[in-house]
Amino acid sequence: MTVLAVRAGLLLVVLGLWETVGRASNPLLAVPPSAVLPALRDLLLLRSYPDLPANVLLTLREIAAAYALAVVAGLACGFALGFHWLIGRAWGPMLAALYAVPAVVWYPSLMLFFGLDAASKIAFGFLLGFFPVTLAVLAGIRQVNPHLVTVARAYGAGSLTVFVRVMVPAMLFTLVGGLRTALALAVVGVIVGEVLGSKRGMGALINHAYGLLRTADYVALVLVTLALVVGSDVVASLVERRARRWNE
Amino acid sequence: MTAPARLIAVESVSKRYVTSSGPVEALHDVSLTVSEGEFCTLIGPSGCGKSTLLGMLGGLVYPESGRILVDARPVTGPDPGRAATVFQDPGLFPWRTVLENVEFGLELAGSAAARRRSIATALLGPLGLKGFAEKYPRELSGGMKQRVAIGRALAIDAKILLMDEPFGALDEQTRVLMGEWLLDIWRRTRKTVIFVTHSLHEALFLSTRIAVMTARPGRIKSVLELPMDYPRSMESPELVALRAKLWGEIREESLRAMQ
Repeated sequence: MTVLAVRAGLLLVVLGLWETVGRASNPLLAVPPSAVLPALRDLLLLRSYPDLPANVLLTLREIAAAYALAVVAGLACGFALGFHWLIGRAWGPMLAALYAVPAVVWYPSLMLFFGLDAASKIAFGFLLGFFPVTLAVLAGIRQVNPHLVTVARAYGAGSLTVFVRVMVPAMLFTLVGGLRTALALAVVGVIVGEVLGSKRGMGALINHAYGLLRTADYVALVLVTLALVVGSDVVASLVERRARRWNE
Repeated sequence: MTAPARLIAVESVSKRYVTSSGPVEALHDVSLTVSEGEFCTLIGPSGCGKSTLLGMLGGLVYPESGRILVDARPVTGPDPGRAATVFQDPGLFPWRTVLENVEFGLELAGSAAARRRSIATALLGPLGLKGFAEKYPRELSGGMKQRVAIGRALAIDAKILLMDEPFGALDEQTRVLMGEWLLDIWRRTRKTVIFVTHSLHEALFLSTRIAVMTARPGRIKSVLELPMDYPRSMESPELVALRAKLWGEIREESLRAMQ
């Protein structure tokens, strides 16, 4: 309860400051919350952007595709690097070096390869989501206590049983954390991709409103995007809690 | 009275490990037989290969030459149907409750859920873990954790219990109490126990036979028979004399190991 009260207090202060500063500034650049509310209403009633649902749906589909690819490829790559000594030694450092490069530098070439439509956004979301999954698998494998593997083998466990009964439960916490981070980054990748160059999707709408200096609409679109991101993270945290319960 | 059947035969087993500083001979021509129902202790200086020998009996380590027969069949890999191992590190699965940890071996053996639950639950009493069924390993003391690990080994009801310094990480008092407890369990279940330890007290208090091993490369230096009844008083003249003899043998080897 106290936490909620403090949080609400902080929100009120921020909104108050925003209102004050917004009213005093150039209305083309800054809009107070009182101006955003009507814009948000128009947006949600599909008056300002009638094609909002189609764009939201497109963005969600891109996120889902990017995330699914990132999870599948990340798991496969992580287990290959973690279980195969040679592959791990040969490619592990390269992967870590690639991860250190700001991913956005790849985006122009992704647009060249995949075009301006959904594919390049999916590719970018994938690129951002892939690394956290791979690295979580690698970290998870390192976390498995080798003694527990010995114990399982002493009780007659073969490789598959060791994997299912020892490796997966021992890694689960780290793995689910990585999967959650990957979802957040896949969302970022897709939306950034849309903002940087796209005709459709939430990012494209944001870019459109911003480019036309329709600042109130722009802020309203950002709020809708925020709701999308928070929503996906809530889903991820529910899955994480479920996994933790299963883990115990 | 018929002589107890010979259950374990170690036949001129040798083992070398390849390390970065060259090969190290861990065991050299070790032979030993153990009969059913015995409590046989392996004692010797650090690095004498006692754990290696135990690992071979459990099928986790392979001999380089020689062979090991358990129940008249050669050991080719871990076989929980013949022997259950307890390690110095209890190695409990932190995501499993006490009960689920005890059930682990039964689960791998494909036993039905209701059956393994009832076997594990029945063990909690003798393990001194009644009321701890739903606790997780992190909530237990060191001695309790090791009792869970022993319960996991007892649950699969193999004839042989291989114990690799099971109380080595416990404090002295707990260790003595755990020894008394194990003695009770052993006399009730009539398992054949192979027990690796550094502790003279443990060896003399528990064993029907003690095999003293030499410093590396490990060989069997001598085998002592302990026909005394249980529970034993460590102050009895017999045990005091035996203790002196045992210490003499181990001291010699430990000094060699230190050089």
